[in-house]
Amino acid sequence: MKNILLLLLALLLALAFGAMAGHDWASPARLVSALSGDGSLQSQLLMVWRLPRVLAAALVGALLGLGGAIFQGVFRNPLAEPYLLGSSGGAAIGATVALLVPLGLPVGPALAGLSFLGAWGATWLVLAIAGLHGRPDTAGLLLAGVAIAAMLGALRSFLMLALSDDTVNLQVVLSWTLGGIQTPDMTGLLLLAGLVIAALASSLRLARGLDLLGLGEEQAFAFGLDPQRFIKLAVLVGAGIVAAAVAYGGLVAFVGLIAPHLARWWAGPRHAAMLPASALIGAAIVCACDGIARAVLPPAEVPLGLITALFGGPFFLLLLARRLRA
Amino acid sequence: MTGIECRSIRVEAGGKRLLDDVSLAFARGTLTGLVGPNGAGKSTLLRVLAGYRRPDAGQVFWQERDLVSWLAAGRGAVGGYLPQQLEPAWNYSVEEIVALGASRSPAPRPVAELLAEHGLVELAGRRWNVLSGGERARTMLAATVAPGPSIILADEPGASLDIRHRLDLVHRLQRLSREAVVVVIMHDLDLAARFCDRIIVMNGGIVAADGEASAVIAGPALEEIFRVRFQRAVLAPDADWVISTTPNGA
Repeated sequence: MKNILLLLLALLLALAFGAMAGHDWASPARLVSALSGDGSLQSQLLMVWRLPRVLAAALVGALLGLGGAIFQGVFRNPLAEPYLLGSSGGAAIGATVALLVPLGLPVGPALAGLSFLGAWGATWLVLAIAGLHGRPDTAGLLLAGVAIAAMLGALRSFLMLALSDDTVNLQVVLSWTLGGIQTPDMTGLLLLAGLVIAALASSLRLARGLDLLGLGEEQAFAFGLDPQRFIKLAVLVGAGIVAAAVAYGGLVAFVGLIAPHLARWWAGPRHAAMLPASALIGAAIVCACDGIARAVLPPAEVPLGLITALFGGPFFLLLLARRLRA
Repeated sequence: MTGIECRSIRVEAGGKRLLDDVSLAFARGTLTGLVGPNGAGKSTLLRVLAGYRRPDAGQVFWQERDLVSWLAAGRGAVGGYLPQQLEPAWNYSVEEIVALGASRSPAPRPVAELLAEHGLVELAGRRWNVLSGGERARTMLAATVAPGPSIILADEPGASLDIRHRLDLVHRLQRLSREAVVVVIMHDLDLAARFCDRIIVMNGGIVAADGEASAVIAGPALEEIFRVRFQRAVLAPDADWVISTTPNGA
């Protein structure tokens, strides 16, 4: 409990930083007076534009933290990550098709459905190639993921070049590729919050199964799990969470790797404690990185995916080096 | 009967027949040792008995019910499987592993009670990567037997242990066999001869010999199958183990 409270405090600090950061920095005093509803123009801008975006960043981060934790649990590998495994790339392809191909469907449901199908399909492909049975080894998993992610990236670029004659859509798709939180309206924000609650609830239902799977497939079976059925269910839930994260935040690399790692270190390996911790850490990371993205090159905005990759890349290499040495 | 039974089991892999028409029954109150050379089909048979490996032909029954009709949770609560070694993906603590083992029971016993019963209280918070082989074996045994399973299958659980810990483990399995069906793969014929009630000798995917431990050990099957000549000796009442020497004392 103390562990979770400290993480909540860290998230609050990250939210405050996110709310202050930008090409026009807001002081803590300005933030407090805006929150108390002083009605000035600056406060209104803060409340209408910046705060929803900061909250959206935190919620997308929570989704990435949960998605990463589920994927690491299913693959039984601490280097598994939705971005590296091509799941995010799959979701982005789905989103690209929904936006650029005239399917005759309403954009909202088509975007959600195709993002999910893309994430799910790409994850299954990696699982099938890297070895569904037994414990997929790190090299096989990452190589399969890198190959699939590269192919999906090329396909996405091709679709963008071939199909786009509408500059607005192209811009949206491009922002997806680089990762970036859009400022949502109230309905969008509430929907995202609902998605995070659903994601957390369904992740927690997987907690015991993920714990058992961590003992190895054979031992998990002996302890009363049907591993094949469970893996199918967990991949379905993980793909749904990744698709939601991609739909709102685009391709944000490495958060799904770092958050579960820190969560395991902070709360231990049992998933009932580690999943909420990973969501909170993911939320804090994306919130802080989104603040940096807005503040570092004013008045321009650096893509969020670039910031997370700059921090996350070295972290990943460090983990990989440690694992290879072991 | 309340044990396990397998009928006409056949398992094939890569064009090779790993098990060929194996039919066996195991009753409660008996410690059965599965012995045989490498590649004899012992581990495959144990996995089939556990339900982890579906046979290409034949059926397995647990408590007179076809194993395929068991729900995963019920199967987990009634059965216990002790692997040769465990390599968890995450660095669980002793307490966490025992809790996971206990959680498969519909009414799990308190973990503190289980830790005390297996002498693991002081190791409770210790993580898997710093445990010795003996500590790991005790942890896994505690997790496996936590819900009081009536079927215990063990794949050479003492293989990597020193003599003291190996003896300790077999003693525990012997005690458990009073209330449960216990089938253990053993490479150590000495231990099998001394502790098992029944020994099954596997060779080339078939049952080559099966009977009361003393009869199988005294019979010719072991020499024929292992292609080794054995000397049978009686252990002194105050000894735990035999160390043999060659005539020149080396």
